[in-house]
Amino acid sequence: MVKTKTWVFLIAGFLLVFLAAGAILCTRPAPGTVANIYRDGVVVRSVDLSLVTEPYEFTLTDARGSNVVRVEPGRIAVIGADCPDKVCVEAGWRSDSASPIVCLPHRLVIRIERDAAVGSADVPDTVSR
Amino acid sequence: MMKKGARRLTVDALFAAVALTIFVIELYIPSVGIPGVKLGLANIVTVTAAFLIGPWDAGAILLCRIVLGGIFSGQVMALWYSLAGGTLCWLTMLPLRRILTKKQIWVMSVIGAVAHNVGQILVALAVTRTAAILYYLPVLMVSGVLAGLFTGIAAQLAVNRLDGKIGRK
Repeated sequence: MVKTKTWVFLIAGFLLVFLAAGAILCTRPAPGTVANIYRDGVVVRSVDLSLVTEPYEFTLTDARGSNVVRVEPGRIAVIGADCPDKVCVEAGWRSDSASPIVCLPHRLVIRIERDAAVGSADVPDTVSR
Repeated sequence: MMKKGARRLTVDALFAAVALTIFVIELYIPSVGIPGVKLGLANIVTVTAAFLIGPWDAGAILLCRIVLGGIFSGQVMALWYSLAGGTLCWLTMLPLRRILTKKQIWVMSVIGAVAHNVGQILVALAVTRTAAILYYLPVLMVSGVLAGLFTGIAAQLAVNRLDGKIGRK
């Protein structure tokens, strides 16, 4: 039998490792200012947040549902979605964090990266409008 | 005196009903703090069943709860996440059931909750095909340990009170 004390140490160690990993990931700055929006792992739209002067919104829709994305100078957020959990809306704004906004039901991921995706079919916002 | 098979079926069905009830009630508790993270209260029933009745019956109860819970909540995609999480969670229970004492039941719940979250993130990775999902790994590991501790202590209390009164005779 493994002693209870051993279990406590193992679990506490595990907890500390992932607390540290979480702290490192959370404070990691984004490598650039381009928000790439992925659907099924493919970039469907890129926005250079540093070039945005006027706030605007757009809706991303597919068979699974839709997400309303709001872009403001230097930052991006999902402000509406017709999924049941609204995790992407609760994730809030992203401006200089490397952590993504994720909408699992619609398989949508928004990340702030260095470059706009190369070879994507639809990159309307790399130049600010 | 009830037949052995009938008794087993009745006890398993009772556990599945309790697990499903807890699961449905938890759907109505709004998530606090981190989006998408919840306590997983139904895990109390899985762990309790694994100790009182055995891992195979616990697996059957878990499967019933996941499938019926998926239908009751109306979220088909959530079913796949739960199935992957539930399978991994159950797999950790098989060896742990043998090495844990009655005062270490909470350990099974902690490891099970963490395994459950690993299963969910694997499905999320497969579904989105985006490695960025791994940013949620630390959050899910830490919340898994904390939620597992909570449900584990509850399960340990339940097992020690119900021992000898319910389950396999």
